[in-house]
Amino acid sequence: MLEGRNAKNPEIIGFACSYCTFKASEMAGSLRMKYPDGVKLVQVPCSSRVDPAFVIKAVFEGADGVFVAGCHPGDCHFIKGNYFTRRKVAALKEMFDTFSIKDKLHLFWVSAAEGRRFVEKVSGMYNEIKEKKNAGKTN
Amino acid sequence: MKTGIFICHCGHNIKHTVDVKKVSEYFKRFPGVVVSDDYPFVCSEPGQDMIQEAIRKHCLDRVIIASCTPSLHEELFKDVLKKADLNPFLLRRVGIREHCSWVGDDPELNTGKAIRLIKAGLYASAHYVPLEEKRVDVVKSGLIVGGGVSGLSAALFLSKMGMHVYLVEKDAELGGHVRLLKDVWPAREDGSAIVSRMVNELQTRENVEIFTSTTITEFEGFFGNYQATLNTSSGEKKVTAGGVVVAIGFTPFDPRLKPELNYGNDNRIMTTLEFESRKDSLALPENPRVAVLHCVGSRDEQAGRPYCSRVCCINALRVGDAVKDRYKDSYVESFYMDVRAHPKGGEEFFEDTQEKGVLFTRSNISEINLGPGGVILRGEDTLFGEPFEREFDLAVFSIGMSPPVDSKRISSLLKITLDKDKFFLEAHIKLRPFDTAVKGIFIAGSCSGPKDVEESINHGRASALKLYGFLNLGYAFVDPFISWVDPKRCSGCRMCEKACVAKAIRFDEEKRIVHVEEAACMGCGLCNSTCPSSAVNLKGHMDSYIDDEIGALMEVM
Ligand code: SF4
Ligand code: SF4
Repeated sequence: MLEGRNAKNPEIIGFACSYCTFKASEMAGSLRMKYPDGVKLVQVPCSSRVDPAFVIKAVFEGADGVFVAGCHPGDCHFIKGNYFTRRKVAALKEMFDTFSIKDKLHLFWVSAAEGRRFVEKVSGMYNEIKEKKNAGKTN
Repeated sequence: MKTGIFICHCGHNIKHTVDVKKVSEYFKRFPGVVVSDDYPFVCSEPGQDMIQEAIRKHCLDRVIIASCTPSLHEELFKDVLKKADLNPFLLRRVGIREHCSWVGDDPELNTGKAIRLIKAGLYASAHYVPLEEKRVDVVKSGLIVGGGVSGLSAALFLSKMGMHVYLVEKDAELGGHVRLLKDVWPAREDGSAIVSRMVNELQTRENVEIFTSTTITEFEGFFGNYQATLNTSSGEKKVTAGGVVVAIGFTPFDPRLKPELNYGNDNRIMTTLEFESRKDSLALPENPRVAVLHCVGSRDEQAGRPYCSRVCCINALRVGDAVKDRYKDSYVESFYMDVRAHPKGGEEFFEDTQEKGVLFTRSNISEINLGPGGVILRGEDTLFGEPFEREFDLAVFSIGMSPPVDSKRISSLLKITLDKDKFFLEAHIKLRPFDTAVKGIFIAGSCSGPKDVEESINHGRASALKLYGFLNLGYAFVDPFISWVDPKRCSGCRMCEKACVAKAIRFDEEKRIVHVEEAACMGCGLCNSTCPSSAVNLKGHMDSYIDDEIGALMEVM
């Protein structure tokens, strides 16, 4: 397993805001909630720090899915950061759509208190992508 | 570059599902990695010494500590670097506990994930540059929001330490709910007496300004220098404070939210609070039948209050005790889920009430109906699994604590987070129970979750102490994570200026480029991801770090 990527299991990169979603992931961890190892986070100070180029880079490097996650609208620690995130992700989605890879990109709102929601969101996304990835594959 | 990697076992916590030896061996073959060791507890004193020694011996210029989540022990490990004369911003923390060993069961997968995460840290940290912690001047004054026992004790503490205090209370009177309690457990003291002792002392102090019937309407600024606009009865007032203690208490649960209990429709149904104030004037028959309901508005998913309110069991027990004291031949039945007689002496008191003859029935009460001869409780005995119906002369509800009505407004005004129940969220429930995620803003009392009087007072004092610690030097150090504009790249399009909420971007009319006003920058990085010329970069979170992190996470090993 250390030698390469598992061809069947998706690799997901998530950009998580320090003030909310990353905190939620810490909470999920301390409550020992389980989620797939294919989900890996990049911590950013605010979801608005996520340059569309990061998302594209992750896809170019082979990520099966990318998510950007921040505080719920109206709750951004930096006041309006997540509104900009929403706009950027919407624009990216449109671009991804033209390449038929729209499903790779997800946007979640998960507050610092929502450890469970974090796990539900990332596991849901993982399973969805895994299903598509393995559709038609045998073994 | 000379990097040292230290992989923590965290005792069993990491080691049981991550092959730490394999991980440390793996990184030994990387160029530039001069140390790659695993160790039982890197945060222990010998662990810290080991890191310091390694820094000195190998002249390390990057340190990677793979252990618990990055925000834990942050200061501790930064200090380790400082003690070894290495810039603390050359440290990279990698969370292989909360983000790896604790969320996956498979040792092989976890070991692979740990390697990926550490590799991301290794690649990113290669770009790190030394940074200087920013020294900021702080205003030596504290703003206390809420004048209940928590807020009062915080205000008293701060003023005694010689700090200027603004105390803001939305009601006309100070003292919150405690003012209304006749008999505060366990000292059996009058709540209003406790409150007036605190208020009287506060009023004698010159460095305290008290604003009652006042709310905060605007809040801005940053750590050490917050400006709040207060809406007082005599108009608007602006105050400047170095930090804030939020102590806005709770709202008693309104039993009307459970209409099946018929509260508010009959004076034979009341809360423990009402019972307290009316117990001398109750028109009860000679041998009264009294029902006491625990957990009304607590541990109740349907009512949206899944948590335990901690104080209501003891309040319920005291109703039974009071009735039994007054009416020897009364029939008192307590309907409970579990008895959590929380504060000191509570368990003994529970036994006393049983000895006095209060009956305890483990049950769910589904409804209360009004009859001519009494109120009729219907429910299920959850030990016997049997439904029952019983008539009483009086039903008393021990109501729980709901989050403060103002919690949503205050949270968005001050940018502090709420938990899922709408109480304020601690930065870390065990290690930083007084801090919020915002520097210089603390929480105290039951606005961060139900607490009794003693706990609330202690919480207020402790938060004030933390605030004092932040402000008492008159200056403090903050992370230097602010944006910087490369003048050679900036095209002067001013896109970043439009995006920046903090208004930290200034346009130089002459040079036709922008620069970042350091003191105003909050460090969100929005300008960074907006600039079409890649001219802005956020220190500590540069494009190059994140780019290489992504690359490392996806690298085929
Ligand atoms: S967005 Fe970039 S190029 Fe435009 S003004 Fe700001 S720093 Fe300069
Ligand atoms: S990092 Fe945020 S606050 Fe600082 S200048 Fe950029 S947009 Fe403004």
